[in-house]
Amino acid sequence: MRVAVTGTPGTGKTTATDILAERRNDVDVVHLNEVIESEELYEAVDEERDSVVADLDRLAAWVDDYEAAGDDGADVLVLDSHLAHHLDADRVVVLRCAPEALATRLRERGESDAKAAENAESEALDVVLSKAVEAHGLDSVYEIETTRSSPEEVADALAAVVEGTREPSAGDVDYLDYL
Amino acid sequence: MAEQEEDKWGVAHVHASFNNTVMTVTDLTGAETIAKSSGGTAVKQNRDEASPYAAMQMVESIADEIRAAGIEGLHVRVRGPGGNLQKSPGPGAQAAIRALAREDFEIGRIEDVTPIPHDGSRAPKGKGGF
Ligand SMILES: Nc1ncnc2c1ncn2[C@@H]1O[C@H](COP(=O)(O)OP(=O)(O)O)[C@@H](O)[C@H]1O
Ligand SMILES: [Mg+2]
Repeated sequence: MRVAVTGTPGTGKTTATDILAERRNDVDVVHLNEVIESEELYEAVDEERDSVVADLDRLAAWVDDYEAAGDDGADVLVLDSHLAHHLDADRVVVLRCAPEALATRLRERGESDAKAAENAESEALDVVLSKAVEAHGLDSVYEIETTRSSPEEVADALAAVVEGTREPSAGDVDYLDYL
Repeated sequence: MAEQEEDKWGVAHVHASFNNTVMTVTDLTGAETIAKSSGGTAVKQNRDEASPYAAMQMVESIADEIRAAGIEGLHVRVRGPGGNLQKSPGPGAQAAIRALAREDFEIGRIEDVTPIPHDGSRAPKGKGGF
């Protein structure tokens, strides 16, 4: 089974998926942002955002190959990235975080004010959630609000999605006041 | 544009999230707010219909205020993908633009200024933009 863990940068995907992978032998986590960088899976550079423009077709092919070669005995492949909802997946988790808190998290992680601000605005407008629902449908999307949750609690919620004990959900938060 | 002409134009900023659409009308510089809608929240059970309907109500609630300020034409800046299963800009945004036109405002430039989530990488624009 393939589980995409997406959400605006700063929502805590990498932190929570690492905890999940430490806890469970049946879970293999791939941090796609690292793969895009190391395998050079991009088609252009966005200078303004200090970001590469990912080549989603080559990224999808890389993940397919990785999964097919899978020899580590893991049953669940977890894809961590704010781009993970652009790939095929059985279940799509969208982590959410109140925009003010998200901007603070990003600045504390050492990101620029511009990057924190544009990502916070994206989060306020539900950009990733809308795209995930558009691509995968309401039955496959699991929205998880994390603003006041510890990383361990977020990992618990991810585990519930993996185990099938959590129902799909979307549209439960409204951060529009931030704007 | 002559200065008098320019005074007749404003900017409608449409913020369209998954469940909600909010509109603010400013002068051309964006500095002065002329009207602000309270926002149309979609009814969850009936999102497909609710979003355009809410957007229409939103425009109706501020149309008089915009007219009273002497605004006759509006440029539109859309931020946000809008409701689920819809193309960007979402149904809220499209409905808002139609409702503005129905209120006899001239519609100028329509710009999509949706922010892009990025973290060392981002998605290509054409493929959904975000
Ligand atoms: N549940 C949480 N509560 C508070 N801070 C968190 C939480 N999860 C992660 N963080 C912090 O927020 C920042 C972003 O987390 P990270 O896991 O890198 O997010 P992402 O991978 O989604 O961009 C990091 O500095 C991390 O330590
Ligand atoms: Mg990360």
